[in-house]
Amino acid sequence: MTTAADVTTREVLVVPRRSVIDEAWRAIGPGVEVLSGTDGSPLRRTIKRILDPLVLRLRANPQFSAPVVPAETGAAMRALILDVAPQLRWAASWFAVLKLARRRLRITAGNAQELYFPVCFELAVTRGAPLPDDRETAETVLRGVHDDRDRTGVEVLNRYVDDAVVTQLRRQLEFSWRDVRPGDTIAGPFLSGLTTVLGDATSHNAEAARQRVWSALVADATPYNFGAKARTNVELPWSIVDVGLSSVAPQPPPPVLSAADGAPPLNRSVVDRVRATLRRALDRDELPDIPMLCAEEVDRACAPWGLLAEDKQAALVAGIEVAVDLAPLSADSATRYDLSGDIQARLRKEAYVLHARRYLVDGGPIHPRQRQVVDDLADFAKPYLRRLWARLHGRDVWQESCDDVDDLRSLLEGVARSVNLDHRQRIKSMLELQEYEVSP
Amino acid sequence: MKLEATRSGWAGGPAVAEVPAVAVLELSGAVLEWTVDDPDGAAAPRMTVTDVAAADWLWRVVGPEGHAALVSGAEPADVELRPDALAPLRRLAIGYWLRRWWPESSRDGIVRLDPALLDGELALLVNSAQEFFTEDTLDSDVEGLLAPHRAALSALERGGDPRVVDLMRACFDLADDSGVWADDLDSARTHAAVGRREDYALAAGRDGERSRGAIARGAASVDWLVVPPRTFDAGEQTVDWSVEAADASVFATVRVALVDGASAAGVAVRLQAGTVTATGVLDRTGTAALPLVNTDGDELTEIQAWDHGWSTTTVTVGPGRADTAEAAALRDRIRDFARTRLAQPGPDAFLAEIVAAESDY
Repeated sequence: MTTAADVTTREVLVVPRRSVIDEAWRAIGPGVEVLSGTDGSPLRRTIKRILDPLVLRLRANPQFSAPVVPAETGAAMRALILDVAPQLRWAASWFAVLKLARRRLRITAGNAQELYFPVCFELAVTRGAPLPDDRETAETVLRGVHDDRDRTGVEVLNRYVDDAVVTQLRRQLEFSWRDVRPGDTIAGPFLSGLTTVLGDATSHNAEAARQRVWSALVADATPYNFGAKARTNVELPWSIVDVGLSSVAPQPPPPVLSAADGAPPLNRSVVDRVRATLRRALDRDELPDIPMLCAEEVDRACAPWGLLAEDKQAALVAGIEVAVDLAPLSADSATRYDLSGDIQARLRKEAYVLHARRYLVDGGPIHPRQRQVVDDLADFAKPYLRRLWARLHGRDVWQESCDDVDDLRSLLEGVARSVNLDHRQRIKSMLELQEYEVSP
Repeated sequence: MKLEATRSGWAGGPAVAEVPAVAVLELSGAVLEWTVDDPDGAAAPRMTVTDVAAADWLWRVVGPEGHAALVSGAEPADVELRPDALAPLRRLAIGYWLRRWWPESSRDGIVRLDPALLDGELALLVNSAQEFFTEDTLDSDVEGLLAPHRAALSALERGGDPRVVDLMRACFDLADDSGVWADDLDSARTHAAVGRREDYALAAGRDGERSRGAIARGAASVDWLVVPPRTFDAGEQTVDWSVEAADASVFATVRVALVDGASAAGVAVRLQAGTVTATGVLDRTGTAALPLVNTDGDELTEIQAWDHGWSTTTVTVGPGRADTAEAAALRDRIRDFARTRLAQPGPDAFLAEIVAAESDY
């Protein structure tokens, strides 16, 4: 595993982030029971949906998201949480009110904590404590939450893309597509630089060097050129079809509109991409309006790898290199990078859990019914890259950078973990389905 | 406990038993493992921290200093484990183990654990341990535990046993709050809790009726590791095979004892006797009739069958893997463990075990 024996952090007193939150939470005292577990610590979703995004505001305060924090950072976190103690108590009251209303309206869809926690905190901030006998507010809020939340944006989009708009976008797409041409950079330096970026760093200096190499790679034209060459007959180090990014090679221009769902990333239609953006936009700040979003998405769809920013293109190429190394069900697969070695070792540990739980045997299905999902898992690069591409697409739209090498590495790891979890859940449910479907 | 940096993360603690004698729990960023039948090892699991950032609960188990040491990456890290934090986690691991490896066997008198009752109690435990599941894991899936059991849980609630009723009410509240069943009444599984069928007849009784013309016959055991749970009787010698001739063709019949209400449809079965093999799949009832072929792929004739030596015959159920004496000893050990749990339910017993033990009288 990658470790950094960082002497300086050990000299400073550091405390686990979660213990700070726990301690501050307990200091609030009574009134927040519905947001707390049986032992009095905040619920997982209290942290995920209220404290992290709305109180500690991790996006703006990344120093609060480290696994361990220096004592003074901890004190700052504690102060932020205790500052809003009244609001948190009111949010708890609002949650109790919303839960009653949920029962009254016989709503059983969705996870109440997941959906209502942020709303409750917002109500607490804007309205204070709930008024007794005010059923109306709660019911209005619930109806708002449970009305298909992504419908509005998507409906505007559907109305917008009439024939005239599609024709116009198509024309734009033709021009944009022709604008992209591969240069003649040599790929060697980029690929050897990846060895450093995806390698271990055991000292401060090595970590700094790794960051420098990544910054240089982001500025390198190789990822752009690979993406541009994917549209020609020039050979790439991998096949875009084998890694699941495109259904055919060379990559054809994407359609503006298509009836088919679930196309590989590079073949996805412009309108589908915008729709995905709107769906992801639930908790986000305001988006540009739909015509602007569509026009920008045409350019993005025509950019190499379907991503505008160089750092996203470089991140995708790094991800392809990692993806082709990964084989969760194979004991003896060799990896070419330290990072893919780490990820592979973790995937193996997770496969062991499946074996210990009698869901798999020797990397194969334990019941014929699981064959398909097991085969899917053996072909790990495809789902891995589809998910990575979707994440990068989101970052490209929101202009969130991938410049930070640690951030890139945790993105590459996180995608592996979540794809693997999805697959393992499917393997599990295929088997349990079979167990429960048998009639007595 | 000393933890060392390995490729898959920090790892430390005692060596644990082989599957199936190991109870594992996948927390956010770490895997804990206990030898299932070793109560003395309860406070010292094997621990593998696969993602130290995701394991933001570590301080609860190893203390804030231990947590900080693991994050700093200095090795080897020596940490102190907190038994009171581990106890509920071990119980979770045992619960997950019970639902996959409980050796139900009418032959050996090990009664079934009600799946809905077990999953329901487990779902409540997972929910109350949610601080260990910041990131979703295979074991954080409360919805998955409750989803298949809507009808069965209602039936249990109507059963009236106050211990069960309390548990079921808590399950329904949890399910409603987490949107497990939504409004989808149709998806409620029809699988209600099946009572123990007292007149349970073995699919392949040792003394059962046999066709007279058997050329050879014998018995074998099922290797638990390669077959799905809650399907086969977990006793030994539950596979009966015979080689028979009828209408000038020769075939092998294999019958495997199932647990009540299960189907073995589609599970692979293979018989091997020297150069002669027979392969195929079991039907719902755990039976298969298989053509016998020699190395050239030709079907065996009746004369060849009579001449063949059948004493070395092996039968494997599930994806092929030779059964070993060690595996058989491990199964014995697991059945002993199960009987002990039923006979003397400990403080970590699940209600499903207690109810099962009571019903056994």
